Amino acid sequence: MRIGIDVGGTHTDAVLMDGARIVTSHKALTSSDVRRGLMEALDAVMLEAQINADAIDAVMIGTTHFTNAVIERKELSQTAIIRACLPTGSGLPPKCDWPADLSAALGDHAYMIGGGHLFNGKEIAPLDERALDDAIDKIIDQDIKAIAVAASFSPAVANHELLMAKRIRQRIPDANISLSHEIGRLGILERENAALLNASLGNLAARVVSSMQAALEQRNLTCPFYVSQNDGTLMSADYIARYPALTFSSGPTNSLRGAAVLTGISDAIVVDIGGTTADVGVLANGFPRESNSYIDVGGVRTNFRMPDILSIGLGGGSLVHDDGGRLGPQSVGHRLVSAGLAFGGATLTATDIAVANGSTAVGDMTGVAHLDAGLVERATLTMHAMIDEAVDKMRPSEQPVPVILVGGGSILISRHLQTASTVIRPEHAGVANAIGAAIAQVGGEVEHIVSYSRESREKAMTYATTQARSKAIAAGADPDTLRVLDIEETTMSYMDDDAAKIRIKVVGNLRQFL
Amino acid sequence: MKTIGADHIKDLCAGAAFLATGGGGDPYVSQLQAERLLTKFGPAQLLSPLDVPDDFFVVSVGMVGAPTVTLEQLPTEEETVGALNQYEALTGKKVDAVIPFEIGGGNSTIPLFVAAMKGIPCVDGDGMGRALPEAQMMTFPIYGVPPTPAVIMDAFGHYELLECDDALTFEKTIRAKAVAMGGMISSAEHGMTGQLVKRCAIPHTLSFATELGRLLRSHGGVIDVIQDRLTTLFEESEYGVFKHLFTGKVIDSKRTIIGGYDVGTALLQSFNHSDTTMEILIKNEYLVAKIGDKVVASVPDLICIVEQESSRPLNAERMRYGQRVSVFGIGCPRHYRSPDALAVTAPRAFGFDLDYVPLEDIKA
Repeated sequence: MRIGIDVGGTHTDAVLMDGARIVTSHKALTSSDVRRGLMEALDAVMLEAQINADAIDAVMIGTTHFTNAVIERKELSQTAIIRACLPTGSGLPPKCDWPADLSAALGDHAYMIGGGHLFNGKEIAPLDERALDDAIDKIIDQDIKAIAVAASFSPAVANHELLMAKRIRQRIPDANISLSHEIGRLGILERENAALLNASLGNLAARVVSSMQAALEQRNLTCPFYVSQNDGTLMSADYIARYPALTFSSGPTNSLRGAAVLTGISDAIVVDIGGTTADVGVLANGFPRESNSYIDVGGVRTNFRMPDILSIGLGGGSLVHDDGGRLGPQSVGHRLVSAGLAFGGATLTATDIAVANGSTAVGDMTGVAHLDAGLVERATLTMHAMIDEAVDKMRPSEQPVPVILVGGGSILISRHLQTASTVIRPEHAGVANAIGAAIAQVGGEVEHIVSYSRESREKAMTYATTQARSKAIAAGADPDTLRVLDIEETTMSYMDDDAAKIRIKVVGNLRQFL
Repeated sequence: MKTIGADHIKDLCAGAAFLATGGGGDPYVSQLQAERLLTKFGPAQLLSPLDVPDDFFVVSVGMVGAPTVTLEQLPTEEETVGALNQYEALTGKKVDAVIPFEIGGGNSTIPLFVAAMKGIPCVDGDGMGRALPEAQMMTFPIYGVPPTPAVIMDAFGHYELLECDDALTFEKTIRAKAVAMGGMISSAEHGMTGQLVKRCAIPHTLSFATELGRLLRSHGGVIDVIQDRLTTLFEESEYGVFKHLFTGKVIDSKRTIIGGYDVGTALLQSFNHSDTTMEILIKNEYLVAKIGDKVVASVPDLICIVEQESSRPLNAERMRYGQRVSVFGIGCPRHYRSPDALAVTAPRAFGFDLDYVPLEDIKA
């Protein structure tokens, strides 16, 4: 059996799962103490199911800790950035577009040195090792351990970033190094921003991991634990300290993955309705569809691979305006249970409409009995129209799609949606996040620049797939369950000899859950 | 004399994105660079083309190549002003003012900071009044300004003097040079007297784009609310005609790269009448808009598409199923009404088998 825990900003959800079966689940307010919060969640599900620690094979944790650290500018390390681009590419130095407070939290440690590549794979300049050593001297003087490296066109040609990392490691053995090409995509400003944020979180990540470890040890759990990442796969504990930023969107990702597990549907639109917003995402092949555009994290433009999520201002606590013609974006949020009419409060909320139209048994009907039937009907139609429009914006074409409703606010939607082929409200939808965290899949991903004039496309693909499989197996995947999830092939225009960039991602089940 | 400083750049970029008619790429890098350099060197002086002295020597500056390259090699101060410095050195002519190639996209901001760095004014106007993909489509060569001598410079500071007989040869040459010289080059070209500026330049587009961008950004909500103000703004400008063509959602968008062009079509469906659809023909920019079989707007008139809820201009690369949009037709500046101009910018110049009909002559 395994335990999935999703630590959100407000709530911590936990589930105990036996295969695909949910044995027990629990919801509590998030504790500011990571270790204590986890122990309480573990206790809640293990006591209720009356099982011992040795029955647990793995614990999977989703956390918003690192996103919040960036947003609140808390517990971030002083971080250096070395960009290899000279003599070109210096027009906009690192961090030039950052909010001043976040920039100050990481300190003023930016260096540009000779190196990097052109769009056609030629070197801009050989990597300037002397300038690199000068930068490292200063970094050592200031006792900085968190270091990001970036180079022009590194997503196509990574070797200058690899050389920089190797040299830094030689001179600062305990450095925490983030390589931009491992984290972001084309667009050096956004990619090095992503690497900087990742490096700045390394110290905090190490502390959080040891708190997680301590919580498990205190409950005598000797099983491995994993953290869920943006793409819907797991990373092992030793990876988190290196890639904490890859957890930034684990909340929406876990709810998408949880919806897939709860319904057995791999292609659908998932609507996660909370207290204030509804997050609409796309499940493709069982995993979240990725966003193509820039992602703002704490006021900084980044190009992480993140799920494509549309948030609209409709949740269980949304205020009702204009006689039901308009709802939200203002919301009573988590005060719903005291402020809503159906809970003895004085504020008309979306949940009160759901209570009044009979689609939910929560709350007290007498609090909403006085509401005008016309208003209730109008508001009901408005809520459905809002969700319908959001689903329509996200679905890949005009074809009706299965729509899966999860989250506490999913009670708002009681009728059919025009955009949906079918509307599914799975049981345990309230803890979909924790179920999504408890998925037992790991992935492997490789990106290669290949030349089709030198090797056949089939051969290049086969080689890349083999490499991706090895990575996944190293991360703990069972080889027999591996499948190719995604192949991205980008032809590089203007490049010599038919060059293309291929990215292959494979996923499989964790070995211990055959 | 008016000026444009760092504080105006976000407005200018928003207005330029609207006038880019779906092309022009992501303006973020050029916006940041303009803000930095206009802060460092002070605001750029704007000179109305009507006030340019006849004996002034004006050169057009900007960048040519693949926009993706600037996302990885962020242009330096030296390379943007360097082509102009070498132009002066190689031709022996002192440049009195600069002027943008086009008002759509990143090339609208480059001449401003080049002007600020050189301490010379920037002409408040441009050679397109919008975005168009090729050099021979600029009003400068159409009205008799030879494109060369031109000086191009790459990111390393390597430069070259180009001499070509005509605008089409110049376009092919500079495009090939851009690919050979790292994917992106800066160019100083189309040197002209003040007298020629008066004849060729589409006047006041920098200040117009800034005003337009200010309206779009300060509003930020549903476009319908500011439609009357947009109508007034355009009707009182060089463009003259502003028509709301369509409001609906994108139901299909197909794209492929053909010969360096981003070619495709988009299909929009009306909110009010679901059997009414609009087809947009795209080659980098939105070039033709049809309702059923009827053409309702065509190049060189402008077809501008904004996201209906936010009033944000929608780039053709970002168009996809489900987006709610409003489509506007805007009359091209009078410079594009002549036979010479239409020969290189009407739908047939892009390979579409249809005649240009001025926007104001098309009845609903």
